[in-house]
Amino acid sequence: MTRKPLWLAALALALAGALVLLAPRPARAFGDVGGFDPRVLLTGSQTGPAHATAPGRWSWELIQRTSAPARLRPSVVRADDPAIVDAPFLYWSGDADVAPLTGSEIAGLRRFFSLGGVLLVDDAGAGPAGEPSGFGRGARREIARVLPDGTPIAIGVDHVVFRTFYLLRRAEGRVQGPPSLDAIVRGGQAQVLFSEHDLGGALARGASGAWELPVVPGGDLQREQAIRLAVNVAMYVLCSNYKDDQVHAPFLMRRRALSGP
Amino acid sequence: MLATHLGPSGDLAPWAVWAAVALALASFAMLLVEMRQRHRGGVFIAVTGLLAVAGLLAAILRPARVTARESVVGARVVVLADTSRSMALSQSGEARWEARDRALEALARTASNARISVLSFGDGPPRPLPLALGERASERLTTAAAHSDLGAAIRAIAASPEERPSALVVVSDGRLDDPPEGASDATLRALGEALRIPIDTVATTPAAPADASVRHVSAAGAAVAHVPLPLRVEVGCAGGLACDDVTVTARELRDDGPPTVLATGVAHVKDGKAALDLTVTLERAGARIVEVGIVAPPGDAIPENDRRLVTFHVARERVRVLHIAGRPTNDVRALRQWLKSDASVDVVAFFILRTPTDDVHASQNELSLIPFPVDELFTEHLPSFDAVVLQDFDAQPYGLEKYLTNIARYVRGGGGLVMVGGQNSFVAGGYAGTPLADVLPVDLDGSPGATSADTSGFVPEWTAEGRAAPLLSPLRDVVGDELPEMPGTNILGDVRAGAVALWSHPTRTTQSGAKMPVLAVGEPGDGRTIALGVDGAWGLEFSQLGARTAGRGHGALWDGLLGWLMRDPRFEPAQLDLVGGCTAGLPSTLRAHLLPAAANTPPQALSLEVTRIDRPQAPVRVEGTRAADASTVDLALPPLPPGGYTARLRIGGGEATRHDFACEAGGDEWADSRPDPSRLARLASVTGGTSVAAEQASSLRMPRPTVVSAERRVSPVAPPWVWTLAATILLGVHWIARRRSGLS
Repeated sequence: MTRKPLWLAALALALAGALVLLAPRPARAFGDVGGFDPRVLLTGSQTGPAHATAPGRWSWELIQRTSAPARLRPSVVRADDPAIVDAPFLYWSGDADVAPLTGSEIAGLRRFFSLGGVLLVDDAGAGPAGEPSGFGRGARREIARVLPDGTPIAIGVDHVVFRTFYLLRRAEGRVQGPPSLDAIVRGGQAQVLFSEHDLGGALARGASGAWELPVVPGGDLQREQAIRLAVNVAMYVLCSNYKDDQVHAPFLMRRRALSGP
Repeated sequence: MLATHLGPSGDLAPWAVWAAVALALASFAMLLVEMRQRHRGGVFIAVTGLLAVAGLLAAILRPARVTARESVVGARVVVLADTSRSMALSQSGEARWEARDRALEALARTASNARISVLSFGDGPPRPLPLALGERASERLTTAAAHSDLGAAIRAIAASPEERPSALVVVSDGRLDDPPEGASDATLRALGEALRIPIDTVATTPAAPADASVRHVSAAGAAVAHVPLPLRVEVGCAGGLACDDVTVTARELRDDGPPTVLATGVAHVKDGKAALDLTVTLERAGARIVEVGIVAPPGDAIPENDRRLVTFHVARERVRVLHIAGRPTNDVRALRQWLKSDASVDVVAFFILRTPTDDVHASQNELSLIPFPVDELFTEHLPSFDAVVLQDFDAQPYGLEKYLTNIARYVRGGGGLVMVGGQNSFVAGGYAGTPLADVLPVDLDGSPGATSADTSGFVPEWTAEGRAAPLLSPLRDVVGDELPEMPGTNILGDVRAGAVALWSHPTRTTQSGAKMPVLAVGEPGDGRTIALGVDGAWGLEFSQLGARTAGRGHGALWDGLLGWLMRDPRFEPAQLDLVGGCTAGLPSTLRAHLLPAAANTPPQALSLEVTRIDRPQAPVRVEGTRAADASTVDLALPPLPPGGYTARLRIGGGEATRHDFACEAGGDEWADSRPDPSRLARLASVTGGTSVAAEQASSLRMPRPTVVSAERRVSPVAPPWVWTLAATILLGVHWIARRRSGLS
């Protein structure tokens, strides 16, 4: 090795260091507090989400694929915790029937919804065709107590959730389930989304880096679609109906036409 | 003067005197009829009969000697002198007011026996002419009225409890607002009937000057931002000026550069007048001054009325907001939802959802992403927006840097800009040292290695100005003094001159040692800007504070911020208006209507700065003080040259409120320079008066004076018994004469 390359390398290193030092220093954490936080909602005797790694993976995928900031260590909040109103999103998952919500849990959730919060109910025990598990049925029953004036309706690809980032043709998760999601729409906004697809199951990834659960029947292709749906849900939380704006309409119609039925 | 004369009676009422005289005459007439049937002794009987009747009448009336001090009182004559702006117009080397004053002097000489009151008419009820008659009134004082309202003046005199005048003389050029041109005879007659006297008129100006002018500009409906507004421009040509095609141009006066041409057209003049329809579109709301001008032909004697300055109060049908976010966050979500919740706000949003380094695992056709049309937005469409919100947006990666000059120009031209904090805003977004930084209300540190953010959590503090600012009053109504904790802040510098910090950081200071602003507002040029150096305003919605206030704090904050940006009167610290408008060259008064001050507020200093819009000119500064309980304050403006002006009032150290206005040399009064002596002649004719030219003012006939008696003393000519005795004797003689003639 000659001395000249060494000298050049040292100079380049010094220049790079100077550039780093002279450039405006961005904040490392500033702005992340307002990022997407798939907050795990716990009720009754629940101690965690159905798939413990799913919320963190959800944030990771969002950060990798989009410009949205997100919390890699999502927070956990109980329905009767005053902190339930500290952020606009909750993720409620499980595979077993849920205990009836207590009065304070109902009150907490009502406060959350009154501020415009969004809840995703993810049935981790859903059958291959989306047959609801005890959790799915129980969660609907309890949400009906929280929002007695809200009736879930099916939302398909016409809904903005299916185009907030990816153009999706149907909902999919660990299981294929029904092509649509169900939602309780209040004030023009889908405030409760019901998934019978075990979205978290498709996202869960162990410490070794391997996916925790197989995705049926579509395998990796279906998993990718599940991740895309999760990204879209996050974008729906952060951007609400941004993709319904008129300015997007001609582009999206053209792309839908191009990608075929 | 003491005078003595004989009165018919010392104590009887006039009607009794007349009744007695009538009875006496009737008696004598009956005697004469009786005498026609007899010839002997007829003359003697008639003479004695006449004497007897006279004696009897004297006995009844008992004549008296009346002594009194008498004086001659001249009739009250009211002269209404036209003091409108049109009297300042000159032709043939003489101003109309000079002819008017000469006529007034002539009238004063003619009516030397009359009690003459010279009143000015113009705006509303008449007022005594400020200078004594005989002195030549100065032009400045007696040609200031913005109108020529003769009708209001006459009606005010008729309604006055003072002595009704015996004569009314109007001295004017005849170019009156009321009665208007083409008023019917009935309308003119009604003015005379109000006073029940004839109206004499003196015409100061017989012929029209050679003049082309913009006589009138009218708009079809209210002016709305971004909506085409039809204008009708009436052009006049008089005094033998050769007019055929006259070019008309409408331009908006702007303080960020030369006037902007809005429309132009050619008016085809026929019979001395023309009407042209132009359509203009005003992009900015608020008071906007449009200059409508003509290119006058050679020989135009009055160039001042070749342009009119029309102030349009441009409303917004909808507020158009361009919302650009560098990445989707809870703060972006909260602001978007608030913007979309207001039906009066038209939002065009572009959020950067993907950066070049993101791996989307999909083809372009599988994404719902669209290109960010930065070129189109910041060149073609920028003027169509009322406000631009740059939220957590880095200018560099998306090619916005080359348009920062455009955005700065847009702001100075009247646009609104909000920069909302985040890790890509302010210094971190590369805005320091750019043209955009110049219009922000805070300094940005562009030095190498400058810190762009502080990630420590903090709760913003209200500044004194923030507590008093009407734009934050909706938020204070909801949250009081409490604010949520912010997860960090962008590093902002000192507030710029004229800008105001509303929130500050509790511990950080600027290079000058002042507390670092967190929320600041400013008014660069014609526009307004807001710097919000945090991205945690969504905490007003989702937090314990948000839960206690039903999340209304976030909407209340943005209600005030966007409302202030759009000059919503609810969020202005004061409302300004010009009392009676502004006439170039004359002093005027700007009245500030102030919001109620809090209890125990000490007197506040008011600082008014008036700047010229259409050309550089040293600003006029006026200081004032607001008493603790005052709701209005009048600020005297010195005479201003013709042009468009912006008045900015600052109360204490708070944010400024703005009012745009125009000062015209002559306004409506000069727009149509033709005198109208025929209207004065018709007014005199239908009310039974006389109309003359100013030179013949002395030929007007004035009413005769009235004699008034004082200290009246009555003394009888003879005692009553003398009159009774004389009547008895004369009746006796008459009876003897009748008996001798064989009458009973």
